[in-house]
Amino acid sequence: MRRLIKYGVVLASCGVLAAACSSSSSSSGGKGTSTASGVLTIDNESGGNWTCDFNPFNLSDISFSLGNVYEPLVFVDTLNDAKTTPWLATSYAWSNGNKTLTFTIRNGVKFTNGDPLTAADVVYTFNLLRQNKTLDINAVWSVLSSVSQQGSDQVVMQFKAPAVTYFYYIADQIGIVDSKVWSKISDPVKYPDTNPIGTGPYEVSSTTCTPQNIKYTANPNYWVKGEPKVGTVNYPAFLTNDTANTFLSAGNAQWGSQFIPDISTFLKAQPAIKWWFPPVANVSMFINLKNPLLSNVAVRQAMAYAIDRQKAASIGEFGEEPASNQTGIVTPTFSSWLDSSQAAQFGNNYAYNPKKAISILKNAGFTMGSNGIFAKNGQPLSFTIINNGGFSDWVNAVNVIVADLKAVGIQVTPQDLSQTTYQDKLYAGQFQLGYGSETGGPSPYFELRQWLYSANSAPIGTPAGSNFERYASTATDKLINEYPATTNPATQQQIVDQLEKVMLADVPVIPVTESVDWFQYDTASFSGWPTPGDPYAQPAAYNYPDWGQVMLHLTPAK
Amino acid sequence: MRFVLRRLGFFLLTLWAALTLNFALPRLMPGNPAVAMIAKFKGGVSPQALHTLEVQFGVNTRHSVISQYFSYLKDVATGNFGTSLSEYPASVGHIIMQAIFWTLGLVGLTTVLAFIFGTLIGIVGAWRRGGVLDSVMPPVFVITSVVPYFWLGLVLILIFGVKLHWLPYINSYSYTDTPGFTLSFIWDVIQHAILPAFTLLITTIGTWILTMRNTMITTLADDYVRMARAKGLSSRRIMFDYAARNAILPNLTGFAMSLGFVLGGAILVEYVFNYQGVGFWLLAAVNNDDYPLMQALFLLITVAVLVAILLSDIATAILDPRTRDAG
Repeated sequence: MRRLIKYGVVLASCGVLAAACSSSSSSSGGKGTSTASGVLTIDNESGGNWTCDFNPFNLSDISFSLGNVYEPLVFVDTLNDAKTTPWLATSYAWSNGNKTLTFTIRNGVKFTNGDPLTAADVVYTFNLLRQNKTLDINAVWSVLSSVSQQGSDQVVMQFKAPAVTYFYYIADQIGIVDSKVWSKISDPVKYPDTNPIGTGPYEVSSTTCTPQNIKYTANPNYWVKGEPKVGTVNYPAFLTNDTANTFLSAGNAQWGSQFIPDISTFLKAQPAIKWWFPPVANVSMFINLKNPLLSNVAVRQAMAYAIDRQKAASIGEFGEEPASNQTGIVTPTFSSWLDSSQAAQFGNNYAYNPKKAISILKNAGFTMGSNGIFAKNGQPLSFTIINNGGFSDWVNAVNVIVADLKAVGIQVTPQDLSQTTYQDKLYAGQFQLGYGSETGGPSPYFELRQWLYSANSAPIGTPAGSNFERYASTATDKLINEYPATTNPATQQQIVDQLEKVMLADVPVIPVTESVDWFQYDTASFSGWPTPGDPYAQPAAYNYPDWGQVMLHLTPAK
Repeated sequence: MRFVLRRLGFFLLTLWAALTLNFALPRLMPGNPAVAMIAKFKGGVSPQALHTLEVQFGVNTRHSVISQYFSYLKDVATGNFGTSLSEYPASVGHIIMQAIFWTLGLVGLTTVLAFIFGTLIGIVGAWRRGGVLDSVMPPVFVITSVVPYFWLGLVLILIFGVKLHWLPYINSYSYTDTPGFTLSFIWDVIQHAILPAFTLLITTIGTWILTMRNTMITTLADDYVRMARAKGLSSRRIMFDYAARNAILPNLTGFAMSLGFVLGGAILVEYVFNYQGVGFWLLAAVNNDDYPLMQALFLLITVAVLVAILLSDIATAILDPRTRDAG
């Protein structure tokens, strides 16, 4: 679609109805088969131009190939109680005390080069990760002991210990590759995979990818009859958030994954574009527990009462990210996991209560000095909080926190650092307070484990995996280790309840706002988007393999 | 000839110093590329990936700084800049090659144009001092030259892109186009270059006008110009061959310098216009602790500036014989 000057106005208005307008693109991309038609354009800031590499085991490339080009065994829906949907495996079963996992591999699936998918390909893929540790992004071989074929179409995985929680990483996060292709590659770690051979609904190659745009075209021989219905998916590269937002507001894209400040005003010109921001994890204040003053639980509890989370959400995030609660359970996504009666015992789940904060500090022996700051033994409650200065929403949220804490006699000075300095200090534990977020998973357990498991911690000065505040408790570790041993929902719930209690009683981390998947969608040109009523996948284009599910659900408007 | 050799020796010394600095600077910066990579992912990566990436990127490797330094020098000499960390496993050379053409085209061309137009306006302005051109152009462009160019870029985007829909304002060509040497593609590239080029042009031209005009005025007062007039030479000949040839020297040095800096890209213009160029990669490399990419880009800029200065020294020597003895 060339944008000649005199046609500029026409084409800009065309963007909204891209499906109807862009016949030129679909005729070149549709490979002349089936019913696939229309052009879907993604709008997501990538921060760089495309390198056009699609290696599904490489962290820089996985989000461009897993789900739509390469497919995993089973889809796990994070937003719908970890509901599983068969993908390349038709079924799976746990046995042997949750130490053995058996997949049955689908028949009749072909790679785009014509090779049939077999159980041997699945075994090969997992053993490839075993031989090349750097490809094993989620460290599944830290729990696996063997993967082998059984019969013609089954794959049996043996684990060193019960590993139910690893199902998400094994079944949902690993794309299956063609053993005949990959066995010829001399160095899979450095393999760019510019012409990926997958089983998925879309194809991409070095000829359809440029530094400015990845063009995915429908796989005419996809194993689901009649899918995909969208002929071409364009994924332009956006270096900055602003350019991507402008692009979306001009009606040039149909699938946005952007943070847009004051979105309802910004998208006023595009009434067909709706948005939904499902919460998936927390943005929290990490408290360095190695700090002598902050290791006092009374100080942490006072802070949890003193912070007005609603205000932080509405001022920092324009209300687009909801407020969190002290249990760390993300609501409404994981509401069923929240033990409300237990949380109620802790000041109504640490509802905003500055008076209570002050009384806790007084009871703990702190006295307010003439400067309005509480102190004990000559040590004032005066701290610094590190933050990513590049995120204006976080900077605003932290300013709310600083004001709230100041009101109860705790002095906090924000340090808005450059991204690299901030990350370095946060991971290495070189901070007093730190504002940041982690990744979560298909149930609240994943984020609680990231926060509370001592194995994710590290000495101050060494980067920790995720336990930035350096929390360590043998009782909590025991709970965390028990969870993967059970598939029983009641037992899982019981363990998570106890982990919630750790959050409430010990306050090692203070969740402030919930982090969300950013998702804007054009209802005029496509139907079948994930919605709050039908949360069949995480909706942002950067959610893999979920975006492949979204592509399979979409239908161009007639 | 001795002059050129002496210059060349000095050039090599500076180059070595720059190379060494270039080696040291990224290592003095805070950050860990593995952490930066994990943080780039808004979800889905387990904490275990941190260690995997550290191994992959060679963070905290056993190699001593000295051995790193020598292998760095060797790599520079052989043109091997290694693998990018933020875009692993893409090679640094590949990334730069993809971007450099666009930067040379956009920033290079505008620098040349700004120099030519600016110098011409300066010459003519000084020649007809107090004339219409002289009273309008220099003040206007001096004002535009202090306008921050990213801001001007945003204003132009708003007016000509978003409101009027006259010109494209993102990317270096329509993202759905396939690059190739076709007329339609070249036309597309030109259209996409108009707004960013215009932004750069009107914010840089003022400096050239001002320096050229001021040196020109001083030169015009010299005896040999009066002599030329007395001889009855044509105005054009006096203006260009007598006055401008001597007055252009400071501008020429400045031009050489700015040509060298072209390779650094115009970071903010590339940022605002989503223009794929070297400047943007430089920023991305710094943000992601991508040492190999950073080093290669810094090196490129340093060498380009040094070469440009060397060439301008030689050019000055040709234009002005007096400098040959002084050098």
